Amino acid sequence: MKSLEDLRKIRDKAQRETKLRGGQAGTRITIAMGTCGIAAGARECLQAILEELAARNQSEVLVVQTGCLGLCDQEPLVSVEVEGQPKVTYGRLDAAKCRKIVTEHIVNGHPIGEWAISTR
Amino acid sequence: MHMYRSHVLVCAGAGCVSSGCKAVQNALLEEVKARGLDKEITVVETGCMGPCDLGPVMVVYPEGVLYQKVKPADVLAIVEEHLLKGRVVERLTYRLPGSEETIPLVSEMDFFTKQTRIALRNCGIINPENIEEYVARDGYAALGKVLTEMTPEQVVEEVKKSGLRGRGGAGFLTGLKWSFTAKAQGSPKYVVVNADEGDPGAFMDRSVMEGDPHSVLEAMAIAGYAVGANQGYIYIRAEYPLAVQRLKHAIKQAYEYGLIGKNIFGTGFDFDIDYRVGAGAFVCGEETALLASIEGKRGEPRPRPPFPAVSGLWGKPTLLSNVETYANIAPIILKGSDWFASIGTEKSKGTKVFALAGKIRNTGLVEVPMGTSLGEIVYDLGGGIPDGKTFKAVQTGGPSGGCIPAEYLNTAVDYESLQALGSIVGSGGMIVMDEDTCMVDLAKYFLEFVQDESCGKCAPCRIGTKRMLEILDRITKGQGREGDIELLEELAEQIKSTALCGLGQSAPNPVLSTIKYFRHEYEVHIRDKKCPASVCATLFESPCQNTCPVEVDVPIYIDQVKQRKYVEAYMTVKRQNPFPSVCGRVCHHPCEAKCRRAQLDEPIAIRALKRFAADWAFEHTGELPIPLRQGRKEAKVAVVGSGPAGLTCAYYLALRGYPVTVFEALPVAGGMMTVGIPEYRLPKAMLNAEIESIKKAGVEIITNTRIGKDITLEQLKAQGYQAIFLGIGAHNSQKLNISGEELAGVVHGTDFLREAALGKEVAVKGKKVVVVGGGNVAMDAARTALRLGAAEVTVVYRRRRDEMPALPEEIEEAEHEGIKFIFLANPVKALGNGRLTEVECVRMKLGEFDRSGRRRPVTIEGSEFRIACDLLIPAVSQKPDADRLESVGLTKWGTIDADDRTTKTAAEGIFAGGDCVTGPDTLIAAIAAGKKAAGAIDAYLGGDGQVVADLAVERKISGELIEEEMPRRKMPCLVVAKRRGFAEVELGFSEEDAVCEASRCLRCDVKI
Repeated sequence: MKSLEDLRKIRDKAQRETKLRGGQAGTRITIAMGTCGIAAGARECLQAILEELAARNQSEVLVVQTGCLGLCDQEPLVSVEVEGQPKVTYGRLDAAKCRKIVTEHIVNGHPIGEWAISTR
Repeated sequence: MHMYRSHVLVCAGAGCVSSGCKAVQNALLEEVKARGLDKEITVVETGCMGPCDLGPVMVVYPEGVLYQKVKPADVLAIVEEHLLKGRVVERLTYRLPGSEETIPLVSEMDFFTKQTRIALRNCGIINPENIEEYVARDGYAALGKVLTEMTPEQVVEEVKKSGLRGRGGAGFLTGLKWSFTAKAQGSPKYVVVNADEGDPGAFMDRSVMEGDPHSVLEAMAIAGYAVGANQGYIYIRAEYPLAVQRLKHAIKQAYEYGLIGKNIFGTGFDFDIDYRVGAGAFVCGEETALLASIEGKRGEPRPRPPFPAVSGLWGKPTLLSNVETYANIAPIILKGSDWFASIGTEKSKGTKVFALAGKIRNTGLVEVPMGTSLGEIVYDLGGGIPDGKTFKAVQTGGPSGGCIPAEYLNTAVDYESLQALGSIVGSGGMIVMDEDTCMVDLAKYFLEFVQDESCGKCAPCRIGTKRMLEILDRITKGQGREGDIELLEELAEQIKSTALCGLGQSAPNPVLSTIKYFRHEYEVHIRDKKCPASVCATLFESPCQNTCPVEVDVPIYIDQVKQRKYVEAYMTVKRQNPFPSVCGRVCHHPCEAKCRRAQLDEPIAIRALKRFAADWAFEHTGELPIPLRQGRKEAKVAVVGSGPAGLTCAYYLALRGYPVTVFEALPVAGGMMTVGIPEYRLPKAMLNAEIESIKKAGVEIITNTRIGKDITLEQLKAQGYQAIFLGIGAHNSQKLNISGEELAGVVHGTDFLREAALGKEVAVKGKKVVVVGGGNVAMDAARTALRLGAAEVTVVYRRRRDEMPALPEEIEEAEHEGIKFIFLANPVKALGNGRLTEVECVRMKLGEFDRSGRRRPVTIEGSEFRIACDLLIPAVSQKPDADRLESVGLTKWGTIDADDRTTKTAAEGIFAGGDCVTGPDTLIAAIAAGKKAAGAIDAYLGGDGQVVADLAVERKISGELIEEEMPRRKMPCLVVAKRRGFAEVELGFSEEDAVCEASRCLRCDVKI
């Protein structure tokens, strides 16, 4: 390391990698991980979301899990909360749809209306 | 880039390492991999998170859920439930002490939220072995800032302005030290870190080095730049292997990244860091001794001046501070001296890390702003004292500091305030002590430590502390002499003013401060040869006997029960206490709280065994036996009041041969035992059997005779009574002093219980009853009201359940029986038109600490609420009805003024004891007072004053000791459905129960 600039670069990179320990994030993706969700493929959805987020450098996004939402018929269920916007819950997802949600909703900022089962 | 959705931080501070975090971490790594989660979840090893008592600890982010006391077997549940499905594993989360409530989130635990972390800012949050995680938290940015934007003078000025003071103990202004070193002539200059943390119980420096080593390295480089040094040394004790290893690793990494070494950030500034491992001599924490040790010489202090800033390492100007001081530097540079100076008190800026140890729930490290009160640290952060014991004192500053007792819990902790109390902040050790700590023994412990660690160079420290230790040693062995306390004080002052270095100068502090606050404990050791805390082993046989106010030989009678010699057991108790059957039912059993078996599983049910022996003796012989009377005396003695104090006094005097007459105002004998304690706890038949046995010893009881009304003290004397004992108790309830207290429907606790006990008509049936108070009278009144047919009974108490003075089993039974409790509330008004209909209360909150160390309840304004109520029973306290006894002298509280040691009043030949002297107290305290008075009266009448003859007891173990865990026998109780009448609730042990329970005794009275 030869300059302050080098230090800043390392800092920015390391900050991205440790950001989620702060518990604060602008965007939060919640995946329902009840037995019903897992049976319907929630694990695959989760992995797809993580891969897609990493591929697109979306380190600000928190990915958390929750239990059964009671709407087992619609599993896998994923909700996306972008700061300042209503929470959108998507149903009957699969890995491909999840990748699309990351690119469209999170990266481009366009929620996908046709898969949404609730917006509030 | 790769993204992890979850970080699991595993604490790898030394505390958690010793509780097994490595095995947990390995299990976690394996399980995560086995489930294919290793691409999603990363496991990070961190430094100490602080709550060492909860270790092994881990925190799962992003949620921030803390898991405590995790065992490798728990890892499966964490992975399967939390990491896979996102469900918190409740059973492993933090539980609020004494409750079922769990607090899973770090962000909601008082232990963390009440802290302000500057020195510990990264500990437990970053991986100490990964420099980039330090950099992520602005690590080395402060070094970058000083090297590129500030002159050395500006850096020194900034540290000066922050007001930072040395965190190692003396509290010298750090900025001043920097400026002295900067201005000193001589080259090269050195920056040295004192990491020779040696105070017993203090481990904040270790934690910083283990959890955030780069914060020290960065600060050293900043200091080097400021004072003009290019070489730094860390002097670290060999007992900290993990810290040494992390430090070594951090130095290597910092070199690799070019953050130390040559030409840092291309600015031309060079700074090298090396470390020296010390052998762990306490004296090497003293700066001149430390420097000598780095030079390879013997670690001995030398006189100052010159100070190290002028002539330090190899005679060169040297900046020397401890680890925690350095850990504050980078934030000061980055956030500014104004920010730092805005935290803390006028003269003590910033925060201080305290290591909580001893008798405290949350053992560990906390960092709080200077000025935080001692009580907040002990109770809010520390979680208070475990096992229901009471706080006694806290030792701050280790062996150089002193103890601070309960009455100073409101003290805002800073350098000045603790010094004013005779202690010091020191390096921040806080050893919390409860009622089981002997302060003389504590002082001895610290002096032994100093003796071990004294380097021997100067005579005051080497020989002076030795002499002090010898005196303390003889005091704790029952060989203390009058004048020893004064001698200790004199020696202490000499040593303080003549010792060469800080070690010796501060060595007498623990002795001086324990004498200052606990002088009576020294006196009891010296004069009475007793150790009230049951620590000094040569001064007592067993803790239970030592704690019993009447010194019943507990282990002996427990052993007699074990051997099925029940009548002998009864007689063993009766030797010291004329009321085995009564105490076997209602004593508050302080003995059980000290039972050594509690350290293994649970204390022996001492009270219940006493009852069993009494019941057995009564059942099988039809009466309760008494010992033989010794001789016959002429002098007549009058006893006023037939409560436990009066009857005990009468009993022992009668056994000595005195003709004793007891005068009782009420139609029945027994005092509070009869008209205070309800039938369901103490059946009159059992009480009367015991009173009969006292009569059989030769005591005459005359009822319906009130002193001052039916007969005067003068008349008693005229009738030939040569000594009079006053044991009239405290039967008058204190008023609440609220409006409406005179309404019909307000009956005070003792009046209510007396009416009920005497079988008078008490209108309770179908009523809504409110009882005010948290003591045993309140519990008795509430449970009696329920039995008399009250529709509902509510107890209103101004503090919390934990602080109720009533016996825990009484509170539990009251709850079982359906009594409601409203805590943190106090009545302010009784309402009704001639007859009570409602009571108005206010909510209370707990404020500052009172002298007893309990939080004082204060009213919450505007929080009034009303309870419908047609019988209000205030039971807040009692006082004696002593108006007619003014001639013997009363205190301002209306109690009889009698000497505590001799029970003598100011009036010739008149003695007093029990509740009428002390105010409302326990049954066993009254019995003890009566016994003490009997001795005093015997001595007054020409006897030897020894009412219980010495008895040689053979102490040996009968049968096998049970050292495996074996739970205490539960007292069988009447089912709640059958408690509408006054049948006794506790049913007593069966013979098998009793023998089994007795066999649990560990016989700590037998010295091997």
